[in-house]
Amino acid sequence: MKKNDILQGTLMLLILKTLAAQKCMHGYAITAHIHIVSDQLLRVEEGSLYPALHRMEQAGWVRAEWGMTEKNREARFYSLTPLGRRQLAQEEESWARLTSGVGKVLRYA
Amino acid sequence: MRKWLRRLCNAIFTARLDRELERELRFHITERTEELHVAGMPAEAAARLARNQFGNYTAQIERTRNMDIAESLHATLRNVRLSLRALAHSPAFSVTVVLTLALGIGANTAVFSAINSVLLRPLPFPNSDRIVSIAQIQDKTPQPHIAPVRLEDWNRMSHAFEAISGYYTQDDTELSGDLPEKLTHAFVAPRFLEVWGVTPQLGRDFNVDEEHYGGPNSLLISDRYWRQRFGGSPDAVGKTLRLGQASFTIVGVMPVSMAFAQRDVDLWSVSPPDFPYARSRDLTWFLGMGRLKPGVTVAQARADLAIVQADLARRFPKPDAEIRADIEPLKEQTIGNVRESLWVVFGSVTLLLLIACVNIAALLLSRAAGRQHEIAVRFSLGASRASVAAQLLTEVLLLALAGGGLGLGLAAAATRVFRALARDLPRVDEIALDWRMVVYALICAVAAALACGLVPAIVGTRRNLAGLLASSARTQVSGRRQARFVLVGVQVALAVTLLAGAGLLLRSFQALGRAAAGFDPDHVLTFRISASWGETGNLKASGQTVKRLLAAVAAVPGVESSAATFSVPGVPLTFPVELNVVEGRAKSEPRIIAESRIGSAGFFATMHIPLVAGEMCPEESNTPGMMVNRSFAKTYFGGDGVIGKHLGHPSSIYFPVALVRGIVGDARERGLDHEPVPTIYYCGLIMQPGLYFLARTHGDPMKLAETIRRKLHEVDPARSVYDISPLNAHLSDAFAENRLRTVLMTFFALTAISLACIGLYGTLSYLVNLRQREVGLRLALGAVPVQIMRQFLGQGMRVSLLGCLAGLGLAAAFTRLLATMLFGVSPWDVITMTGVIALVIAVSTAASLLPAARAAKIEPMRVLRDE
Repeated sequence: MKKNDILQGTLMLLILKTLAAQKCMHGYAITAHIHIVSDQLLRVEEGSLYPALHRMEQAGWVRAEWGMTEKNREARFYSLTPLGRRQLAQEEESWARLTSGVGKVLRYA
Repeated sequence: MRKWLRRLCNAIFTARLDRELERELRFHITERTEELHVAGMPAEAAARLARNQFGNYTAQIERTRNMDIAESLHATLRNVRLSLRALAHSPAFSVTVVLTLALGIGANTAVFSAINSVLLRPLPFPNSDRIVSIAQIQDKTPQPHIAPVRLEDWNRMSHAFEAISGYYTQDDTELSGDLPEKLTHAFVAPRFLEVWGVTPQLGRDFNVDEEHYGGPNSLLISDRYWRQRFGGSPDAVGKTLRLGQASFTIVGVMPVSMAFAQRDVDLWSVSPPDFPYARSRDLTWFLGMGRLKPGVTVAQARADLAIVQADLARRFPKPDAEIRADIEPLKEQTIGNVRESLWVVFGSVTLLLLIACVNIAALLLSRAAGRQHEIAVRFSLGASRASVAAQLLTEVLLLALAGGGLGLGLAAAATRVFRALARDLPRVDEIALDWRMVVYALICAVAAALACGLVPAIVGTRRNLAGLLASSARTQVSGRRQARFVLVGVQVALAVTLLAGAGLLLRSFQALGRAAAGFDPDHVLTFRISASWGETGNLKASGQTVKRLLAAVAAVPGVESSAATFSVPGVPLTFPVELNVVEGRAKSEPRIIAESRIGSAGFFATMHIPLVAGEMCPEESNTPGMMVNRSFAKTYFGGDGVIGKHLGHPSSIYFPVALVRGIVGDARERGLDHEPVPTIYYCGLIMQPGLYFLARTHGDPMKLAETIRRKLHEVDPARSVYDISPLNAHLSDAFAENRLRTVLMTFFALTAISLACIGLYGTLSYLVNLRQREVGLRLALGAVPVQIMRQFLGQGMRVSLLGCLAGLGLAAAFTRLLATMLFGVSPWDVITMTGVIALVIAVSTAASLLPAARAAKIEPMRVLRDE
């Protein structure tokens, strides 16, 4: 595992969070956003991003629409659905539990 | 739901999905390239880097696409592909299963289509559940005809009906065409179409003028006659038909659905209620029917009519005090006793389908056994039990769907055969393939797939894998043969049940042929001669007409004697009457109830019904006479004492007082399958519609048909002679339903036992194959081939004997349902049961013998060398 790889479940959390902040974004913007906001620590692999986006679309967490970028290119824009918002809350909570748990173990050891 | 639909679309139209994905991903790469370029990289290098960073483009598309296609759906498609491949590898197996299921499902669907059309579907009229038939009950007999004036009273006074109407029919000769043509002409009371809830498909209903005496003569014609005579032309309305002396104008064409209450009606015209004869409360001629108001039950309508009739009885004590009204839903009346027959046939055909399923289950078990290795490998590669079982089930489902589709085709063909075989079945014209049949066949297929696939899928995937892989395919004795033999036993048991039912029906049919009818049905020609109700006005003249026609028939060379009657002997018909004795009868004696018949004086001589005591009715007599049969004399008068008594009802038109002249032998008048009951025969009748003429001939009766027809034409050119057939044909028609039932049951039972034998044969063969090595070893160690053979044969016989025992238990329940359809045999007939068991043992021995012989012929050296 390369050090900037992101676990599958974590990737969804990141995408959800990103979309929650911004109204609607295309796939490239999502990678860029994560890359920048994480101070270039995290890089989303394209090979994971699109399958994840499409799976989330099928699950009903995000909605996708074709639209134009400011550079006048055709792109597929994703936005969060109410269901996705609820999912985000859940995943944030479980993430917090996981990190605190892992942290405790690490501190103890 | 919509989501699933979209996924299904995605799964099917992958090309469109791919295009979209490609657009999306290409955009990503373009953006990345641009970013790199902006950062200072040369365009070409930027493009290459972007692409490289992206990874394997095609693989990305594929992975992403899989997210859009539901995982389970995808798995299903894969299962289907795999199954198709597996089935293609064993075409013999696949074809056997598909054909077996096609037969089972086809037969089942065909019978269900009959049940659906005849029993389940409402009659083809709007709110047809509200249409009832109404009968008048008088003289304590169900003499169903209603006086027109009373019909009008009922219609006016009752509150339960939207409308009450009625009809009667007679044969008419139409004279305006090239040749005289016999037509069935219905005379209807007003409101007839209102009761049915139909309107003419062309033209109009009768108007008020036409419903009054002296109004214009107008006709509605049937769809059939319209097409046949006028080629379906709209010009038919307004044309004139000539019926006897009168001309009628066609005002409309009935819709196709008007095949009730009588199927063969060609013409309808109004019988005006203000016709002088129609004023009498004693003259009855309408068969009544009515349409209930919405929400009114049959019981309420019955109660309502009873109140109305009680009111009429106060106003017209004679004859209304003795009259009651009875109501029955029209559908019940139409279907009659076909219901039982159809359900029994359906039950049998369902048992057959069950046998087919069990048979296939056994086949699948051997197939699963043969694929143990393949299944074990898939397990070891990580497949879950559920996924392997799902794949096995998918195979069966595919086979079942193919079988169901083929079966549907079979059913479509079978319904045509059914319509031809069962012409007299009520509503048989309505039997046809519709969407319900398609759904039913589909349900059958899925049910069959589950029934025959579930057990093998569960059993076939329940194994100790490591053990299996290690042992290769050389298991010595399979633990699964228990399940297989149980399946064979079940088939035998079901087949025995069906055979017992078929056997009993066959024996009844035989007994029917042997039953002493009490009359001689051979060499008798029956025919009808057209007549109208108008003739009945002059009793004397119309009585003479019958005698004149009979004399003409008797004069034809080759004719021994001739007679006329209302009912053909042996054709089921009941017409019971309660009689008074004019000479008086003790109150303590039982009431006299008898079947009644009317015949000309020569009836007994023509039918060869012997005179037992007294004398025959004379040809000419001024006092009405009657004959009684032996059981009547014995039951009510203890013998000859009845002769010379006067029986009947002083005021009745239908059952007048008549002198008992003599006693004749018992005849099975009510049908060959009914014991003779006490019966009276009024002597002498008048010319009227509905009479049967009988002629006893020396040779083949049909040979004289033309001669008799020509002779009658000479005597009375205005009458047509029709419906000519030997008496035996009537008897055989009377049992058409019985015969159809018997033929179908026998066919199903034979198919069932064949399937069971194939099952037994297959299972034993499989066992012999499996135990080759063991048998070879034993032979090498000195076992005698006969011993080996006996062992395998014994195994087969044990299964079929146990199956027989279970089958006899099932048959006991099944044949009790048949009890009312049997004649001359008890539902627990020892001969039938013994015969069935003997047959099953014989064929199952034959089926076991082949594999057993093969086992005995195993060459020890070859088998052991193969090790």
